[in-house]
Parts: sequence; C-alpha cells; structure tokens
Amino acid sequence: MAEVQLSVRDLTVRFPTERGVVEAVNGVTFDLEKGQTLGIVGESGSGKSVTAKTLMNLLPRTAEIDGEVTFEGEDVRKIAAEGRQHFWGVKMTMVFQDPMTSLNPVKKCGEQIAETLRYHMGRDKKTALAEAVDLLGQVGIPEPAKRVDQYPHELSGGLRQRVVIAMALACEPSLLIADEPTTAVDVTVQKHLLDLLDRLRRERHMSMILITHDLGVARGRCDDVAVMYAGRIVERAQTETLFSDSRHPYADALLRSIPRIDQPSHTRLEPIPGRPPELINSPVQCAYAPRCRYAQPDCLDSIPAVQGVMGTHEFACHHPANTDRGREALAANVAAGRNAAGLEVIGYAGGN
Amino acid sequence: MAGSGQAPLRDDPNVLLSIADLEIEFPVGKGEVVHAVSGISFDVAEGETLGIVGESGCGKSTVARSIIRLNSIKSGSVDYQGHNLASLEGEPLRKIRPDLQMIFQDPISSLNPRRKIRDVISEGLAVWGDEHGAWSQDRIEELMVAVGIDPKFGARRPHQFSGGQCQRIGIARALALDPKVLICDEPVSALDVSVQAQILNLLQDMKERYGLTVLFISHDLSVVKNVSDRIIVMYLGKACEIGSAEELYARPRHPYTRALLASIPEPAPTVDVSEGDIAGELPSPINPPTGCRFNTRCGHTTDICFTDEPMMQRVGDADHYLACHHPVEIAVSV
Repeated sequence: MAEVQLSVRDLTVRFPTERGVVEAVNGVTFDLEKGQTLGIVGESGSGKSVTAKTLMNLLPRTAEIDGEVTFEGEDVRKIAAEGRQHFWGVKMTMVFQDPMTSLNPVKKCGEQIAETLRYHMGRDKKTALAEAVDLLGQVGIPEPAKRVDQYPHELSGGLRQRVVIAMALACEPSLLIADEPTTAVDVTVQKHLLDLLDRLRRERHMSMILITHDLGVARGRCDDVAVMYAGRIVERAQTETLFSDSRHPYADALLRSIPRIDQPSHTRLEPIPGRPPELINSPVQCAYAPRCRYAQPDCLDSIPAVQGVMGTHEFACHHPANTDRGREALAANVAAGRNAAGLEVIGYAGGN
Repeated sequence: MAGSGQAPLRDDPNVLLSIADLEIEFPVGKGEVVHAVSGISFDVAEGETLGIVGESGCGKSTVARSIIRLNSIKSGSVDYQGHNLASLEGEPLRKIRPDLQMIFQDPISSLNPRRKIRDVISEGLAVWGDEHGAWSQDRIEELMVAVGIDPKFGARRPHQFSGGQCQRIGIARALALDPKVLICDEPVSALDVSVQAQILNLLQDMKERYGLTVLFISHDLSVVKNVSDRIIVMYLGKACEIGSAEELYARPRHPYTRALLASIPEPAPTVDVSEGDIAGELPSPINPPTGCRFNTRCGHTTDICFTDEPMMQRVGDADHYLACHHPVEIAVSV
C-alpha cells in the first residue's frame, strides 16, 4: 500500500450562530495516498468546502474544530496553533472556484505569482518574476512574457484560472486542493483546465483533492470519490466501484437524478424528493432518512456507523442499496407506499 | 460557422414562432459595437421544445431576450401568429406579451424580496385581469399547487424559500397569464443536482398540462438533450447546427458541435466524439473573424473558411441543418 500523505480522523467543525450551533462537518474521516486524486462530491451545504477550508486553515476564528489532521507525519492543527509560516501556500495549496475574486484586481498577474515566491521562497524580485514567466508557460498560457504584465481583468476566465493554478504551484506543493476549479467556466475550457491539472499532478507527483458538485468531473478525474451529505462522508470508494456499485441510497439516487447524454430525449428523471436538512439541532438519525426510499424504523433511531472495508469501500447506511438487505427494505417500502419517515415511495420504472 | 440563411425555416403550419435573419448589436463606446447576434434564423413549432446551447457569450440569451423585446433588435423579424414582434411598439406589443413569458437563471434575484410570493405570482393577473383588476384567488392556489408550493405559504417572502422553491415560484408566475411560449434561460444552472431533476420534471409536466411551447437555453448539453425536441447550437452570434435532438447527438457534423460533445467530462460511449478537440477561446464579438467565425479554433480549416461565410444547408433527408464548408463525415452504418 502506498504511503498515506494526508490523514483526517473524526473531523468536526461547528459554527455557533444566533439560531444555534451549525454542525457543518461531522466526523469526517479519510486517508489520501501520495500521488492520488480524491474527489469530494456533494450538494451545496454538504460540508465539502468547509472540510477543504479546515485543511487550509482558512476558517474564521469562531469555528470550533475537533479531530485530527496529519499531513506527512505532522499535526496540521498544531502547525496552525503555533502560527507557523511557509506551510500553507507551500506544501499544501488551494485553487478556488472564482478566479476573478481570488486574484488581486489591481496587481499584475506576474507580480502576484512573484509575491508568493518572494515571501515563501525568499527569491529576489528579478528571479521571482522570471520564475513567474516560466510558471505561466507551464500552465499553458500563450505568450507568458506578455501576460505577466497584464492585470486579471485583461484575461479571460479560463486564463485567469490558469494564473491561479500557476500561483498555487509556485512553491511546488505536494498537495493541491481544488475547490470547484471549473464551475465558473464553459465546458470546453473546463476540459482544458482539468487536463492541465491532471498533467501537472502527474509531472510533479502531487496529490490532489478535487471538490466538485459535478459527478461527471469526479468520475473522469479521480482515483477515489467521497460523497458528502449533511456534513458527513456517507460513502467512499474507488471511482469505478462508486459509480457502478454504490451502496449508500443517496449516492445511488444522485446518480439516477442527473440527465445522461446517452439517454433518449424526454427520459423521465428520478429526482430526490425534498431538500437537504438544516444542520442546526439535527435529530439523532440518519440525515438522509426523510428523503430516502430505503429508510426503515432503525434509520430514525440512530446515526448509521461507517461499515465496509476501510480504505476500499466504506459507507454509512443500515440498509445499503444494491444489497439483499437494501432490496428487502425497498421492497417493503414500495409495498407500504411509504418509508419509515412517511415519504411516499413508488417503484422505479426500471426496477430496483 | 457562421451560419446565415433561412434554410432551417420549416414550411409547416404548426410553426408558432419564426425568427428570420435576426441581428442584434450593442454599442460599447468609441464607435465600437458588440455583434451579439448576427443573422440567425430558426423556428419553433407549437408544443415543441427548442434547446439552445453554446458557450457563454455566444448570444443564446440575447436571442431569447430579444423575442420578448428585452433587448432592441437591429434587424430581422420575429414572427408570432402573424405579428412581427421585432417591429411592434406600444400597446400592440404590450397586448402580446402575456403570451410569451420567461423564467430566469437565478431564482432568488428574479423575485422581488420585499413582496409576498402570492403577490409575486398574481402581479400579472392584477395587470391583465378584468377591468376591475379582480382575479380569482383560486387561480393562484391552483398555480401554487401545480408547481408544488403549499398555498398556505402564500404570505411568505422569497428569502424564506430555498433556491429550488424560488424557481418553482418563478415558474408559477410565468404560467399565471396562460402563456403560449415559455422562455427558460438557464433555469437549472444555479440549482443543486438533486433539485435540478425536480425542476426539469416540473417543466415537462407544466408543458404537457398547459400546452406550452418552450425555448430552453442551457450550457449543459446533457440537460438540453433531456428536455429538447430540437436543438440549435450557437457560436459567436451565429447558428452552426440545427437538428432534432436525437439526430444532432447521434450524428454531429459540425466541428464545433463535436468539440462541445467531446468536452463533456464523462462522454457517453454512444456519442462519437473523435476529432473533437478545439484550442483557444472565444474570439471577441467586437471584431469577429471574417469568413467562418469558428475558423480561429477549428482543426478543419482551408482557405475558403477565412474568406466565405458558410450558409445553413440541409443535411440529407433528416431534420438536420448545418453551416460548415467541411462538415465531418459520418460513417453511414449506424
């Protein structure tokens, strides 16, 4: 087994608010091996970005964090507590969704990259700028020598995101966290950016965490995929396993709900009823139970523990899909016309 | 691409909306103009769903907005039941607008945050109801039930609803005046995947229930395929390929259509995407390339692509129109 680079154990993040404590991340546990890409998918509010920001030490002071984060043998939360510099932005870096707001609008692109190199790596101004030109070339920006002197508003969205990627790579990180890096760009540009990230990751033996709401992106680009729902990882598996043999009913339903290009037009979609729960004062039950076609009385009594094979295929469900136990639960709910939480359940047209 | 010409217009009595040679420009100062839409022709038959796809900046929203005259039109015609919407003004234009309603991308900002949703939905009826401004409360309740919002929440305001629910309210508002044509501008782009399917199914139900004709704009090729009968692919203010949804996705002939399909993160095995990579980015619509507008990114160009604009032409016997000097050949055995 390859070397584990990042290990997250029981990560919990709470935000006290006027209306109560928001449990944004709840017991997230995963390992990332060196050189691998982990995809984190989920809907807005599922806790995927908060997880990333916790790793990057970017949460506001009000956040209450629990759990262990170990990166290359070091305790990341201790590094944060000591206020150590030259860790984030050097070993672990991040690319954000919107390149326009993550670049400084009144500074030239080259200066912004050079600034990183001067601060973290102690380069002098001239060397840093020369390296910036080199980096812009590496991320596939045409005429890099000209682009270093341009401001972000002079570039297209795709080029801007390339500048952000160049900046993230400047100090040769060993882990890159990309939070919805292609959500703000067109599909053609998305493909080029994802190809670029793939190539750079291979060339530099980086690991990557790719956060996305797009299941297609996760399927095409990740070794492992973790599905988050209501602050928890509900299923984690190798990409092909997850997409062909999912266990958690939420992961299964998510895959059924997206329109697919190989289906004929006007194929009736199978949406997930209801909407994600609020994360304040959550009852002690499976958070997905009110929307779940498989939910049984025991789903409303306790939060299902993670089961399966650790590091291979883990899921947190009492009645997993695509198993006998799940099929029995679903058949019982279809026969009764509703699940244990009172949700109406009818059979899928395609069976199961 | 570049695809001017009226070839795609069908001679069919069921055609409800027919757009011919539509041109739209926006001045951007210094005497320069953005050529947002440059001579596009297409039609929509009654009860049909027409999907419009393309990258941002290709003019798809501009076309849709100009149909209900939210932008001014430079030239061309928009024929709707014998009226040319492009030249109507004043009272006649006002009278026809209830027939053409629109729903928008951002469901929350498209609702007035200070108004109760019951008032948001009934505003059209308040304007268009009988001379006493009266309308039936039952109608509002019927609409709310139809889109899946509990009528007892009528006194709430938009911020008390989720994005998906706000989009439902937007749909109820658009349906209040019994429109014939519903224009949907990226209606599910701002929604989460699980909610997206709910809204797409709802739109399909509403289309059947109220007999709507739908224009559906999206950059998501899978979504467009799911909802559309016919699809028009746009690039830089021009149409490049028009066809039935099945035909276009099974046998894409235009290099740009193929590039779009090849960019889908998880291409389906049934879609042939060979020769589909394109380089670079969208050129400026202020100085669009001469000849075929796609020539800066296309892998199939020859001299003619830089001098002559390809015109829209029918391909074979199918419902399939194309504007390209060098269409990709498709193996016949399918």
